[in-house]
Amino acid sequence: MGVRSNSSEMYQREQSGSLNNGGSSHRNNSSTNLVTSLMKSWRISSSSSTSSPPQQSSRDSLISIDGNFEAMAKQQTSAKRSSPSPYSPMRYTSPGLSNSTSNLGSGGTSSSDAPRPSLITTTHRHSSTNHHHHHRRNENTGGKKVSKYFKDLDEDWSAVIDDYNMPIPVISNGGIASPATPKVGRSSSITSTPTSSTTAVAPENVNPTFSYPQLPQLKRSISSDLRSQLEMENERDAQELNAIMQRIAKFDAILKNKHIINQQELRQISWNGVPKSHRATVWKLLIGYLPANTKRQALLLQRKRREYRDGLQHIFSTKHSRDVPTWHQIEIDVPRTNPHIALYQFDSTQTSLQRILYLWAIRHPASGYVQGINDLVTPFYQTFLTEYLSASQMDDVENLDPKSYITDEQLKDVEADTFWCLTKLLEQITDNYIHGQPGILKQVKNLGQLVKRIDQDLYKHFQNEHVEFIQFAFRWMNCLLMREFQMGTVIRMWDTYLSETSPETTSSAAISSDLVPPHTPTEPKSATFQSPAQDFTSPTSASSSAKEEISKMRQSSLNEFHVFVCAAFLIKWSDQLMNMDFQEIITFLQNPPTKTWQETDIEMLLSEAYIWQSLYKDATSHWQ
Amino acid sequence: MNSGITSIKLVLLGEAAVGKSSIVLRFVSNDFTENKEPTIGAAFLTQRVNIGEQTVKFEIWDTAGQERFASLAPMYYRNAQAALVVYDITKPQSFIKARHWVKELHEQASKGIIIALVGNKVDIVSSGGERKVAREEAEKLAEEEGLLFFETSAKTGENVNEVFLGIGEKIPLGRPDEQSGLQNGGVRITDDQRIDLASTGSGAVAASGCNC
Ligand SMILES: Nc1nc2c(ncn2[C@@H]2O[C@H](COP(=O)(O)OP(=O)(O)OP(=O)(O)O)[C@@H](O)[C@H]2O)c(=O)[nH]1
Ligand SMILES: [Mg+2]
Repeated sequence: MGVRSNSSEMYQREQSGSLNNGGSSHRNNSSTNLVTSLMKSWRISSSSSTSSPPQQSSRDSLISIDGNFEAMAKQQTSAKRSSPSPYSPMRYTSPGLSNSTSNLGSGGTSSSDAPRPSLITTTHRHSSTNHHHHHRRNENTGGKKVSKYFKDLDEDWSAVIDDYNMPIPVISNGGIASPATPKVGRSSSITSTPTSSTTAVAPENVNPTFSYPQLPQLKRSISSDLRSQLEMENERDAQELNAIMQRIAKFDAILKNKHIINQQELRQISWNGVPKSHRATVWKLLIGYLPANTKRQALLLQRKRREYRDGLQHIFSTKHSRDVPTWHQIEIDVPRTNPHIALYQFDSTQTSLQRILYLWAIRHPASGYVQGINDLVTPFYQTFLTEYLSASQMDDVENLDPKSYITDEQLKDVEADTFWCLTKLLEQITDNYIHGQPGILKQVKNLGQLVKRIDQDLYKHFQNEHVEFIQFAFRWMNCLLMREFQMGTVIRMWDTYLSETSPETTSSAAISSDLVPPHTPTEPKSATFQSPAQDFTSPTSASSSAKEEISKMRQSSLNEFHVFVCAAFLIKWSDQLMNMDFQEIITFLQNPPTKTWQETDIEMLLSEAYIWQSLYKDATSHWQ
Repeated sequence: MNSGITSIKLVLLGEAAVGKSSIVLRFVSNDFTENKEPTIGAAFLTQRVNIGEQTVKFEIWDTAGQERFASLAPMYYRNAQAALVVYDITKPQSFIKARHWVKELHEQASKGIIIALVGNKVDIVSSGGERKVAREEAEKLAEEEGLLFFETSAKTGENVNEVFLGIGEKIPLGRPDEQSGLQNGGVRITDDQRIDLASTGSGAVAASGCNC
């Protein structure tokens, strides 16, 4: 195994070497290599944490790539996150994995537990000048077959998942026959989508003795001649599937039959992606809506959902005069939200969004409704809808009318959950939407500073061309990059983003302006909408400065990480941008070529952001 | 022919959802979408047109309409040579907002800025909807403030090109040196698609917008 991982390491090294040679400019290669090397070092050390020999070899190879290894190693160890839970995409270890899976991890195959290996090869996809022909070919053939394969197995997952598929209301109409759509095959919410990364493994590297102990159904579902044709791919797919199953099992281990859910563990594992089967629950936990104490969850949901209903009743009653401009603005924007996704064209969806956004705006007068918030509400909404769909239908959530599979009351529950989670999210980025939008301006400024340090040539080029960061980055901050990516990619990104929300949120649910103290959950008058004086006032008035302090603390975490993601996103196109003038730069950044992005691409981006954040921690100290 | 190309930096202002982005989309791509996402921050687009002998390149900043984003607007109109102040003829509130923008431009923008007042969505009235802003009222404002005035439909394309042509004719052309100082990145010639606003003679507008 040590030898094998070593040889694939060599293979990857060759690839990054050729990146240097064929490169269009040397300028950016050093930074690319730095990232690449770091990723390798972290990956190797994680995948070999149980066996020592590979570690040595990875060290050697790193030194030969980049003499700066020692310095980086220090960076790596000293790069402690400010958050009390230091976790890293690289540090994720997979103790429970079978032999074959860990082989897979070090062999460069994308897997959910070791998503980082794919990074090295995906780099090439984005550097237009450095395409390898064989690489592209494999990507095409492998990718297609693999996705078909995933589709076949959707049923198998559901079979497995159904057993412990959360305390979810039964689908009212018994489920809908979902027409197979291409989307299903992309399995957009499973943490690992097969891509070109598999090509980094030479066929010999596939463990020939591999069998499918965990997946008995696999053999049954594939005809034998197809199997002989796809043997190699199948084995790799099986490994990936295995990894996914393992991953689901890990989430189960954290979530099921626990009195208190270990939030830190959950954040760590969720950073690398949450299986769609668990996403709704996990998001609610990460954002601090659901309490970690599972005994309290049902009661809390019940209460919050009632509170939401009471809130609606209140603002739509005669006692409350309608805020016409706000209502009107939301009314205009709701049909303009995700106009390319069928789900958002249905009346039921639009009514939901209208209610959620209006209630939120009324309850947060300091910011009120701001365009962009209508975007932020949608990942929650459609993720929570999937709780009412069977595993095989989940990928179809964007095409189905909610009315066709849930009752009005259930839809209200979805709305309520969406409302509270949106509230929680926006608490962390309040400054983005209040008057003058200081949060956004600060982030844009920080982004400029950061790019100046990371990629000075690009920064200078922008200056020469009179490109100002605010001209393209305002939207990046205002909509958390949602406008830049397809929904599937955004949702994967949010797994990480919600893991980045500071843990204080969860541990101090009581501090939220909207929650009654948890010690008195059964107190009958705890549903708070009856006392508008307290609950409908601006955030500043309600109880005290301690709350503000904590909310300040919380605000830094996600915002800061997001700036690094934006930096990584911008620098990704650095080579191209260097050859563009003002007009081309702005046009390009307004329409970045991300339509075809897969989860692995976004994972690459998030990992890069993480690394920049570790390396440039000092840059953020005066960001306050 | 280099000397024949002039850039015009133009900004669109107006309340949210009056159709700023739709007007630009019609002008640049001769297209229309029923539900356009709200603009966040501002969007940049360009279009070249021939006006008589001249090739004019419009460099357009399409700003976001919501009040909360208004503080960004000065950045975009500061160096603009022309502005479209857009309102929706079925929304009186949007006309009030337009008045404010005209005032702000006169106070804050560069002195010689050419402003066109644009009442959009006339197609709604044509198809039986109710007009809420009288044409006379807008004409009066335009006259008082020295504005060009148009009523348009981004949906049908009606009068959209005329707005830009009107602006182009008002801007002192053929003196690119005077404007170059204002341009971001300067003027560059590319072979991008252009529409010919004056193919049938100076002042006439080619029927590139569909009139369905
Ligand atoms: N009937 C009709 N609808 C239009 C017309 N122009 C725009 N619309 C519609 O009005 C809505 C808003 O149009 P946008 O172009 O996005 O408006 P905007 O001014 O750019 O809005 P913001 O970006 O939010 O400031 C969209 O749903 C358009 O389809 C028009 O001429 N006629
Ligand atoms: Mg717009």
